[in-house]
Amino acid sequence: MSSDITTQPSVVERQPADRLRDAGLYAPGDAVLSVRDLNVRFNSENGVVHAVRGVDFDLMAGKTLGIVGESGSGKSVTSMAIMGLLPETADISGSVRFKGKELLGLGDKAMCRHRGSHIAMVFQDPLSSLTPVYTVGHQIIEALTVHNPGMSSRAKEARAVELLAMVGIPSPQARLKSFPHEFSGGMRQRVMIAIAIANDPRVLIADEPTTALDVTIQAQVLEVLHAAQEETGAAVVMITHDLGVVAGMADDIMVMYAGKPVETGTVEDIYYRPRMPYTLGLLGAVPRVDTSQKSSLVPIEGTPPNLINAVTGCSFAARCPLASDECRTAEPALLAVDGGTGGHRAACIKSGTLDGVDAHRIFHAPPVPVSKFDGVSRDGRATVLELKDVKKYFPLLKGSLFKRRIGTVKAVDGLSFDIREGECLSIVGESGCGKTTTLLEIMEFHPDQDGEVVIGGVSNKAATDGKTKQAMRKEMQMVFQDPTGALDPRFTVYEVLAEPLENLGMPKDAIRKRIMELMRLVGLQPDHVNRFPNQFSGGQRQRIGIARALAVNPKLVVLDEPVSALDVSVQAGVINLLDQLRAELGLSYLMVAHDLSVVRHISNRVAVMYLGKIVEMGDVDQVFDNPRHPYTRALLSAIPVPDPELERTRERIILQGDLPSPLDAPQGCNFATRCPVFAALPREKRDKCLTLEPALAAEEAQQFACFFPDGEIDADMLVVHA
Amino acid sequence: MLRYLGKRALIYVVMIFLTTSAGYFLAVSSLKPALLEQEKIPRPTPEQVANSFRLLGLDPNLNPWERYVQWLGGILTRWDWGRSPNGAYVNAEFADRVMISTRLFLASIILTLIIGVALGVYSAARQYKFQDRAITSYSYLVHILPAPIAYFLVQLGAIGVNDAVGERIFFVTGISTPGIEPGWPAFVDLVAHYAVPTFAMTVFGWAGYQIAQRQYLLDNVNADFVRTARAKGLTRNHAITRHALRVSFIPVAQSIAFTIPAIFTGGFFAEAIFAWPGVGLWSIDAIGKQDVNVATAMLAYGSVIFAIGAILADFATTLVDPRVRAQ
Amino acid sequence: MTNLIDPVAEIDEARAADVVIGKGRIIFRRFMRNKTAVAGLAIFLVLFAFSLFGGFLTTWDKETIDPLNIGMGPSPEHLLGTSQAGIDLLALVVEGTRVSILIGLIVGGLSVLISAVYGCSMAFFGGKVDSVMLFILEALIMMPAILVVAVATSGGGQSLKELPSWLLLIAVLLFFSWMGTARLVRSLAMSLMQRDYVKAAKYMGVPSMRIVRRHLVPNIGSLLVLDFTRGITGAILAEVAFSYIGIGIKLPDVSLGVLIGGATGQVSSFPWMFWVPLTVMFLLTGSLAMMNDGLRDAFDPSSTSIGRASTKKKTK
Ligand SMILES: Nc1ncnc2c1ncn2[C@@H]1O[C@H](COP(=O)(O)OP(=O)(O)OP(=O)(O)O)[C@@H](O)[C@H]1O
Ligand code: SF4
Ligand code: SF4
Ligand SMILES: [Mg+2]
Repeated sequence: MSSDITTQPSVVERQPADRLRDAGLYAPGDAVLSVRDLNVRFNSENGVVHAVRGVDFDLMAGKTLGIVGESGSGKSVTSMAIMGLLPETADISGSVRFKGKELLGLGDKAMCRHRGSHIAMVFQDPLSSLTPVYTVGHQIIEALTVHNPGMSSRAKEARAVELLAMVGIPSPQARLKSFPHEFSGGMRQRVMIAIAIANDPRVLIADEPTTALDVTIQAQVLEVLHAAQEETGAAVVMITHDLGVVAGMADDIMVMYAGKPVETGTVEDIYYRPRMPYTLGLLGAVPRVDTSQKSSLVPIEGTPPNLINAVTGCSFAARCPLASDECRTAEPALLAVDGGTGGHRAACIKSGTLDGVDAHRIFHAPPVPVSKFDGVSRDGRATVLELKDVKKYFPLLKGSLFKRRIGTVKAVDGLSFDIREGECLSIVGESGCGKTTTLLEIMEFHPDQDGEVVIGGVSNKAATDGKTKQAMRKEMQMVFQDPTGALDPRFTVYEVLAEPLENLGMPKDAIRKRIMELMRLVGLQPDHVNRFPNQFSGGQRQRIGIARALAVNPKLVVLDEPVSALDVSVQAGVINLLDQLRAELGLSYLMVAHDLSVVRHISNRVAVMYLGKIVEMGDVDQVFDNPRHPYTRALLSAIPVPDPELERTRERIILQGDLPSPLDAPQGCNFATRCPVFAALPREKRDKCLTLEPALAAEEAQQFACFFPDGEIDADMLVVHA
Repeated sequence: MLRYLGKRALIYVVMIFLTTSAGYFLAVSSLKPALLEQEKIPRPTPEQVANSFRLLGLDPNLNPWERYVQWLGGILTRWDWGRSPNGAYVNAEFADRVMISTRLFLASIILTLIIGVALGVYSAARQYKFQDRAITSYSYLVHILPAPIAYFLVQLGAIGVNDAVGERIFFVTGISTPGIEPGWPAFVDLVAHYAVPTFAMTVFGWAGYQIAQRQYLLDNVNADFVRTARAKGLTRNHAITRHALRVSFIPVAQSIAFTIPAIFTGGFFAEAIFAWPGVGLWSIDAIGKQDVNVATAMLAYGSVIFAIGAILADFATTLVDPRVRAQ
Repeated sequence: MTNLIDPVAEIDEARAADVVIGKGRIIFRRFMRNKTAVAGLAIFLVLFAFSLFGGFLTTWDKETIDPLNIGMGPSPEHLLGTSQAGIDLLALVVEGTRVSILIGLIVGGLSVLISAVYGCSMAFFGGKVDSVMLFILEALIMMPAILVVAVATSGGGQSLKELPSWLLLIAVLLFFSWMGTARLVRSLAMSLMQRDYVKAAKYMGVPSMRIVRRHLVPNIGSLLVLDFTRGITGAILAEVAFSYIGIGIKLPDVSLGVLIGGATGQVSSFPWMFWVPLTVMFLLTGSLAMMNDGLRDAFDPSSTSIGRASTKKKTK
């Protein structure tokens, strides 16, 4: 038990001033960082936002505290308050002590002595967090110069090289002179970590350090963070919305909701014995990648409260299925739970009754929907979409006036697959592997395309007249990733939904009727049709997008990352809706997603793409439980699961490097540059991978493209953390 | 990099050729020096006029295309930009005029850029404080004040100062006093002539840079990379001056090219108001005298200046932005 | 990333004003909330009325010479005094204001139209058409407009001489005023065409023309409205500047620039002749500038001004 959160029930009833004094008295002497009653208020255009409302924790040397919560719960504001990086206009109260020394109230200058040397921070978006006009070397050395003015420039450079090597950047000496834009996202995040650990900080705060990265890169960066922590012995505050990411890393967890910690305790307490409905809901809302659980997800209806309005009762009451009048009278204090370890505390008056309850039951998760196709074998169903050797090459041009072709990007390189009625096929892979291009190629549906696309029996080669195209448009519709960008901000919901119907020439009355039907179908209130998209939450907007796709009764819906822009709790509701619609309407889905847990939950079949090619395809459970291609194996092992026990003992394959630039796509097997099996192969066997291109071959129902599907994996690329 | 600039330059050469040619046709069809000759006393016969113009290469009886060919031939073979109706060679006068204009503009172009950027930074740092409001309001005010009137008001002010002191401190017109002795008196005279126009062009010129620099810097003060710099231990001010400033200058550098036409036009007004015999005054006079060749030469000159500005802007951008340098 | 806009807050606000209101109404309301903008509009309307009906304030017209009052200051007979030629200044200012507003409206309006069509075409056709059109556009930007104005209005040519000088000026100003906006329209239209909602419409099989009409035009519209007022200001200023140095509008046509320019010679002896038209010009351009800010707010779809205006008091 490291972050020993003070267990003083009486503390909460006292005045804040008393609490502060007590907090100072009771803070364990060996905590590197202790935060007491941290409150942050902002003046916004609409009123005062009370963004953080009383956060307390102690962080012990070398330990990791995970802070989880959905968007807007105050995670980032908390971390920025600790760093003293909030705008001057923010009103901050409480206490933040570093080794017993109060940091709140220090001026910018005084705070600078701590920032970057005692407490360092890694931010979420690596693309924008480095100054574009300075070399990475310059930026690392700057961090050294600020705190070590006496250090010789030789020594600084040597240290910078050492740091770059430590975070795993190949040929660090040469890379010092590179500019940030010459690095990929993952590499930039490594540089950020190098800057953060440059002065051996005692506390390292990482605010969603991997959210913007691909899973394989996320695994690399988490690995680097882990190594950095071991190297420096720093205590880490890991902020995330992904319960999986912290499961294996953290010692303690703090769950935040509406600016307040609502449950704290050890990882085991939180993941295995949650005692607050919100935590329960969150854990039930994330699908699992490691089991083929076929139950619905736990939806948490509604949205977090507006922090401008004073909170009267439990802040979660509006979304809590257990809420009663009692909950609305006073805000429940964060109290030790009955029968728990001292450190396990929850802010719920009913926490005593929640021991071991099933989130599915209290949140009324819907039953698993049954489709009429469920009993029918795959061969017995009609094909709704078929791709035959579809290719899309982009010329890579250089120059502005006289363009020169310097190469070809094979974004989609000979794709063939089919989708049957009532089935969901998902395409997964790292960003840049050609997933979106595949979808766009299908949506384009043009006779001049390279390869054949057959939709509902109509081939693109035959789609020469407008009528065929129009017919095909009725068969297939699309749902976009960004629910906000997909809706014209100047259209009301009614206009949005009417557009496809008017296009079919449907009469006015019928349109009105159909729209009301659609609103109900996707779980929106029919009387909201007159609103504009910006008056809805993200989850609701995505429902509007789905309703629009369904308006013309298509057979196939193409889903481009349908839930990746949504918060976990909202995501669950949309996934359940998609599941239910597929069953009720007999739809087929073609989905692209990077979140493999979501994929496992929704899909029947999965295709893994790498550099424009499918490397493995088959039944989702088969592929996930018994992956054959080394890439699939690496991808799956990289996904963190929200289970601390399992996370700690799991073997993880860490792929080396990034997705190679499509320009220098290797001969032979595309994956050879990063393949862990290839790396472990004896020299004489390697030739085969380097010269021959493995074809996508079927073994029973599972297809994969690898010569050594059961090969050993290079030990260097395997890690297990205890 | 050099290749890229070379290509840009080539495009501009083509553009200059086209704009100049278009300008020539416009000038030839709308300027009729022959009509002015008719007002001379004694009144020459149309034949006499045509004859003398033919000798100058301004034959009014040729159609525009024939004259264009003749004119272009002169430039391409002899670099001869033609002659004025009074017989003067365009080439001969051109250098002097450009010299005078350049001398007048150079100081204010540089001052405008430096002061505008500096005030932009200063007002961004004091956002919404009194200084910012004053500086920025002034810049917006300049936007609704036509340049010649602004210059005229400065001129009035300078005259007012002279009157108040009771002695001629500033010259409000002309470029130098004839017959001044060289050395110190000549220098004082020079400054007295330069001061007012340079002042006017500068104080009414920096507004654009100020507003742009202020806006771009404000866009960047809360950028993620400034936060990173602060998280390293840099103070807010250091983080802004070392990181945000450099990045925010990139778009300002790019905008330099587009202020060139404004400077060129502003220069016209300045020369007209302060009576500096530079390219602006020359063009206006020449057009008044229905002088096709001077008008076209000036048009070409304006386009060349613009092209140079655009290439300089490209160059400046590559200096400050490594992302462009790479290509 | 930290989300600075609280979605929940937006929903709550929306609920407060639940009645569905038309977009025009919303825009109008937002505009009316901006006091400066409303004041600007009022001033502009007053000036506009003045330019149309100001003639009734005096019995003199802009041609009749009053031989008894030449170059006289304001008097009950001539409210704003007379010019050196003995013409009533009020009548001249009314005429000048009308010409200036006319030039502004025509140039501002038409140049917006041209830039919209030109910019959209570039974005829509793309490829070769786009490159050629862009080339033409840049070549025009390169041309020193002032010289062309001077040449075109110098009036030596027979064909052009027939036109009144203000019409000629309008034509030339128009020729050089649309390129900047056209470029903006082009890049805006290009980015709009990449938006998911445009793709969605395309994938629904909505015909191109309908997409342009329903999705592109309204979204570009706000830019165009803003540019309209900016264009008016620009044209008025350009007229004054050009006429002032004698290359724009020429006597006997009257405009604010001509009046200001003609009076500079004797500011000390006849100050009213200079300051009166100058003040009118300032009111004109100033009122447009004041309106511009309000218009930008009103048309910005992401504008928070629904909430901002209603709760302005609370923030400090
Ligand atoms: N500078 C600011 N001014 C006003 N309000 C702010 C400011 N910064 C944050 N907030 C508000 O504070 C609340 C908490 O935001 P915070 O960024 O800490 O959330 P978060 O948990 O980090 O969310 P995410 O997962 O999206 O990063 C939000 O309602 C946000 O809108
Ligand atoms: S206090 Fe009541 S409303 Fe709040 S979480 Fe507990 S049961 Fe739900
Ligand atoms: S074919 Fe060789 S390189 Fe390719 S995935 Fe299989 S083992 Fe790796
Ligand atoms: Mg955050």
